[in-house]
Amino acid sequence: MVVELVPQYVPAFFQSMYTPALYGGLIVAFIALIGIAIQKKDIHILILTDLVGLAMLIVVAAVGTDLAEALVLPGLVVELAEIMAISEILISREMRKIGPKQSFIPSEFSLDMEIMHTAPNFLALILIAYGAFLTGFTGGAVAGGGIIIYVLSRKARGLPIAVVDGVGGISGIAWCLWIIGFVLFFAVPQYWLLSLFLAALGLFLKVASKMGLMGILMREEFGKK
Amino acid sequence: MSLTSIGGDLLGTIPLGDIVLYLNPLHLFLFVTIIIFTILIAISRTETQVEAMFGSLEENKVSVGMKEFKHRRFLAIICGLATAGAMITGDLFNFTLFMALIGIVNIGIVSAVKQIDVLDSAYQYGLIAMMCGLPLFGGAAIILASTGTLSLFTLAAAPTVAPMTIFGALMMLVGIAGESGIAPFFATKAEMFRTPGSPFILIIHLSSLFIIVRSVEILLIIIHVI
Repeated sequence: MVVELVPQYVPAFFQSMYTPALYGGLIVAFIALIGIAIQKKDIHILILTDLVGLAMLIVVAAVGTDLAEALVLPGLVVELAEIMAISEILISREMRKIGPKQSFIPSEFSLDMEIMHTAPNFLALILIAYGAFLTGFTGGAVAGGGIIIYVLSRKARGLPIAVVDGVGGISGIAWCLWIIGFVLFFAVPQYWLLSLFLAALGLFLKVASKMGLMGILMREEFGKK
Repeated sequence: MSLTSIGGDLLGTIPLGDIVLYLNPLHLFLFVTIIIFTILIAISRTETQVEAMFGSLEENKVSVGMKEFKHRRFLAIICGLATAGAMITGDLFNFTLFMALIGIVNIGIVSAVKQIDVLDSAYQYGLIAMMCGLPLFGGAAIILASTGTLSLFTLAAAPTVAPMTIFGALMMLVGIAGESGIAPFFATKAEMFRTPGSPFILIIHLSSLFIIVRSVEILLIIIHVI
């Protein structure tokens, strides 16, 4: 980092952290690339590639100014979009190999745990309610975990699972809610509570539905010997 | 000033706060050309691939369904607009974002094809594009760290070039090579073309050609060669 660009009030310790952070990011990327070279299965390679993307975020965040902070978010979004696109390619390739009809969780699945038979619905309900209470990103993750527990318990008990094809649509509409809330913050600041709840609810629905989609990823490893 | 020696005379600037767009004949030419190509692609229909059967006089027609056609046309238009944005932008990080968007959309255009080998090569290209996100964004971040700005207009006016900036520019070169699928990484991208639906597939190729021209200009501006 060029020293004369940095304002005087920044402590020397923070300035000296740039080089270690940069090297750290590059080393993480290098380790991930070694992992990619070793791995044979496509899904593992994809996951390790995401690690390279995280190393990219480290390198960008190492700059440490507010401009760099503004660059981390688009970098993260691009990274997520790329991993979604590639996993979509992977799924459509594997689906084309094995044929159209597949269950939500296609592989042999034995979870012979008591919790899967006694009160999974109640647990899922509590998780979803608690997630709705939390709202926002954390709440979405908790509620999504509830959905996954529900699906897993149905699978473990051998019951059919209804796949809701519109889950992606809910996610998109929720994203719109989030954006509307965000715009309202700037347009009519006196309604901040409304926009806060819009944003929180949108993010909650979005993350929850994304977590619910996660089981689809399991389909592609099926049939691969 | 190096801006004028590469792209021709400066026609004007569009100051948008920190980001200053600057217009010169090279940018305008590239921008208008890619917009014209995007319009041509938007109003065209897909070709039908005809394969001669071996050992007989029959022929095998491979065409594209309506749903797939619409999906591809949409993504091809997005790809054209992203390329146009990358042609005209005056901000280094916006350029890298447009670049990454082109990479994603390129994967998307071929994501619905039926040939497994095309999907396979698209997957490989996607992996390379994702790994090259590190040098692309990382290079831009290093340039930001060493010069304190991302505006190309300011970068061109900088009196000296630090070695760290040149390192960042080289990293960006690696990233651009991977994201647009040129020389060391071209094999998978060439395989992606082997599917019916020609005009939409062609924008994959066209966008990377335009991006290379613009990125050469940007890198030369950053390292003050000319």
